[in-house]
Amino acid sequence: MSMFSIAVRGIRFIALACAVLAGGAALAATSGAPVRVGGTLALTGPLAPTGLIHKLVGEIYLEQVNRRDGFLGRPVEWVLLDDQSKADLARSLYERLVTVDRVDLLIGPYATGGILSAMAVAERHGKLLVHNTLGIPKLAKYERQIPVYSIGVVPEQTLPATLFDALAANGKTPKTVAFVTSKFPSVHFMSVGARETAKKRGITEALWLEFEFGTRDFGPIAARIREANADFLWVGSIGLEGNQLLEALKKLDYAPKNPFFLYPSPGPLAQSPDGANALSMTLFEDHAPFTNTPQAAEFARVYRERAAKAGITYLDADMQAAVAYAAWQTLEAAVTATGSLDDARLAQWLRANRVDTLLGKLRFDGPGNYGDDLQKIKQVQSGRWITVWPREFAPPGARMNLQ
Amino acid sequence: MPVRPASGPRPPGRVVAAVAVFLALACLPLAQPPAFFESFLYLVFLWVALATSWTILSGYSGYFSFGHGAFFGVGVYTTATLVTAGEMPFLATLPLAGLASLLLGVGIGAVVFRVRRLRGELFALLTLAITFVLATIALNTPIDGGPGVFLSGVSMPRLYATPASTLYLMALLVAALALAIAWQLQYSRVGRALFAIADDEDVAEVMGVPTFSYKLRAIGISAGLAGVAGGMHALFVTYVTVSETFSITVPLYVVLMSVMGGMRRWYGPALGAIVVTALTYAFVGGEWALAGRALIGLTLILVILFLPQGFAGSIGAWRARWQPRAARSGAQLTPHGLSPSEAPATAQAEAAVARPSILSLNPPAAAASSSGALHAAEAPFLRCEAIHMAFKGVKALDGVSLEVHSGEILGLVGPNGSGKSTLVNVISGLLQPTAGQVLLDGEDLALLPAHRAARAGIARTYQIPRPFARLSVLENVALPAMFGGLQLAPAAALERAREALDFVGLLDRAADLPATLNLHQRKFLELARALAIRPRVVLLDEVLAGLTPAEIDSAIAMVRSIRDAGTTILFIEHNMRAVLALTDRLVVLNQGRVIAHGRPADVVREPQVIEAYLGTAAC
Repeated sequence: MSMFSIAVRGIRFIALACAVLAGGAALAATSGAPVRVGGTLALTGPLAPTGLIHKLVGEIYLEQVNRRDGFLGRPVEWVLLDDQSKADLARSLYERLVTVDRVDLLIGPYATGGILSAMAVAERHGKLLVHNTLGIPKLAKYERQIPVYSIGVVPEQTLPATLFDALAANGKTPKTVAFVTSKFPSVHFMSVGARETAKKRGITEALWLEFEFGTRDFGPIAARIREANADFLWVGSIGLEGNQLLEALKKLDYAPKNPFFLYPSPGPLAQSPDGANALSMTLFEDHAPFTNTPQAAEFARVYRERAAKAGITYLDADMQAAVAYAAWQTLEAAVTATGSLDDARLAQWLRANRVDTLLGKLRFDGPGNYGDDLQKIKQVQSGRWITVWPREFAPPGARMNLQ
Repeated sequence: MPVRPASGPRPPGRVVAAVAVFLALACLPLAQPPAFFESFLYLVFLWVALATSWTILSGYSGYFSFGHGAFFGVGVYTTATLVTAGEMPFLATLPLAGLASLLLGVGIGAVVFRVRRLRGELFALLTLAITFVLATIALNTPIDGGPGVFLSGVSMPRLYATPASTLYLMALLVAALALAIAWQLQYSRVGRALFAIADDEDVAEVMGVPTFSYKLRAIGISAGLAGVAGGMHALFVTYVTVSETFSITVPLYVVLMSVMGGMRRWYGPALGAIVVTALTYAFVGGEWALAGRALIGLTLILVILFLPQGFAGSIGAWRARWQPRAARSGAQLTPHGLSPSEAPATAQAEAAVARPSILSLNPPAAAASSSGALHAAEAPFLRCEAIHMAFKGVKALDGVSLEVHSGEILGLVGPNGSGKSTLVNVISGLLQPTAGQVLLDGEDLALLPAHRAARAGIARTYQIPRPFARLSVLENVALPAMFGGLQLAPAAALERAREALDFVGLLDRAADLPATLNLHQRKFLELARALAIRPRVVLLDEVLAGLTPAEIDSAIAMVRSIRDAGTTILFIEHNMRAVLALTDRLVVLNQGRVIAHGRPADVVREPQVIEAYLGTAAC
């Protein structure tokens, strides 16, 4: 065999090898095994209305991330299970996700009880758990849990402070305050904190009234509120309780001054004629400056479309939609930055770095991995929730309407 | 189909099989299955334990409870409080969780079971209300106070290497305990008593069942098991809140599982729990969540519509179809080779006279006598003295006094509304008189519960037969043998029941349900039950009503043979032909008062009797 033919054969071999390698690489980019992210949501049961918002947002995010080459160049697949609004079922399903489905990453369920159940499973298996609605930060004990719900370490102190600051800044520091609160765990502790804050600020407590979660007849409570006739009303409510209380107050022909509702169902309260000027807390609303970035604007636009198709009555992307999205953003940021799916590395990176999300720049280096309190005050104006405090988060021209 | 009769020791093969299954399940973690399977099985066992414990009270005794959430919740919060505030080791809290719930259950029972009207839906609503009351207490006291109780710092006991395996084993133990108790109860005296209470509590009491005490046992066991399950579950969920603990989920699910699986069999609720939990997990995929829930609901509706006795009831019916009839009843054909319905009535009566074996177990003092006429002169051993009974001001009995002599047949007649049935109810202990005494051998039974009267030897039949509808004919008769004067063990009670059924010609119907009997046979079933109690006095309340003349002849022969064997009879009847043929003495009641008494031939000629009764009702 001549040297020429040997050289030709060598070149052919190298060319063939390169072709095989190149082809293989191309194949890996288009058909690589998906990165499987497992989680549960309350798709049925009493928490389902909010759980479905989280599902909708997750689906939007997956479409977007997979258009961007997924995680580490691999498509992202969401293994979503229905925990039926039950914490014990959530626990078993997270066991399934880890030990049977063997997902690569975990993302949290909706609501405090379910998250704590999932956290126990994650801890036993050393998994990272990014979650977004744990309302009681002091219960977060596991070092690899990442709370995207950026309400700070002691929201029971910081949120009331923000709220009373907002009132003061608008020249409406209340002399008297009436507190009515559900005894729902993540609500009640916030109300207790608000009460302490009011006391420290020298505001007279005109009423402190607790009611049980699940109360439907708000007539007697409304009568006490009218009797107290305070300058400010704190309603520690969740879901539709706020609407029910307003209806009861209306029957008494009484409109409370400056009512604040802690965790209302956004649509029903904003769209109720009784809800005008109602206050609440938020982390994101569908207006500038939150939607100033292209990603946020695109998210808000797509969410509106999908929400309409899904039959959701309030089409603006609000806090729940945003925290759901932010959890996915956080997961993606960690995976991209570390180039890894290793739970320990991801958790370590998240605890050491800030993540840009719809909610703002989040950090996870405080007690319980909580960071800054990014809570803001919003108000129902013309049937929509508008952020009114701090002023830099209010849309142009918006003002806080107080009595 | 009726449930399997109490029959003494369990077949050893089944016990061995049950132990083997338990050991195999207990060793499952050694195979190191994925933690999810242990977690899933944990929930299966939790619901098995809860549903089975519910059925011990509600399925067995018929007291439909919606309060299981309360017993479960007390267990949850007892453990949660003790391990957090009390820093007690977790395992040590479980017996206390069970005890706390048990005490709550017994406390509720001690009050509620004394009130006769608090049965049925009122009991269900009351237990549901207790759940809400307890939730309110927990929410408004330091037990919870609102924020919930978090158990994250509680150390998990190390029964196995992993927490999931440890929880699995604990749940298996609790479920096995609940099933073992339910199994044991079903075939024990207590189980028999509870089933009878479920069918007809008043009759059960009259047959000698101390219903109050047995219901207390049932609610105590039921609540205690639910409390232990709750204590265990506190550690499983880690975060305990009032809204989830005392939610309607627990009572709703245990009812659902028990109804689906079959409430009157020990393994029925377990089957329901397995199916419902498996269905719950079968449709947890995000895409199928809503469709899955709809399918579960549809499945439940179909089962309730087409398997009204649940899976276990259907399995029992299927087994019964394949089992030879004689094997089911342990019965033998009558000497005639015919069923009582086929045999001529007179032949049955003759057969009854010829089969006195049941009577041989009657009290020796009574059995020693052989002629009623002789007893009329003897000292009375049952005496009613100045009995007064008023219902909301209406006098039903107005100072009734009468004596029943040992071995006689005393006739008690009177027009409708004269107070005969009220007097029977007073003597049998079902009603406590407003005033007066019921003396049996000098002991006053008037204010004692009915089961004490039965144990003292007073048996009765009902004008309209009141058999235990879901117990077999054999079990109907075995029950008074177990709880009446004889207090027989289950196996001996069955033997005596067979003798009693043989005596009245119903032995070949032993395995059937009472609903399949005709009126004549049901009347004889009443007689058999009365005889099984080892009566000193039998109160026969219009036992001939509704029978054909031929059947009446057979019944008269039967009654006479009972008396001839030495049993004293108080014979309440409208049929004067039978009264005159059978009775040694006659007492006539009218408007709650005794208006005549003495030899029947003399009494029926007294003007006031003719005026009050005989003039319009003579045969």
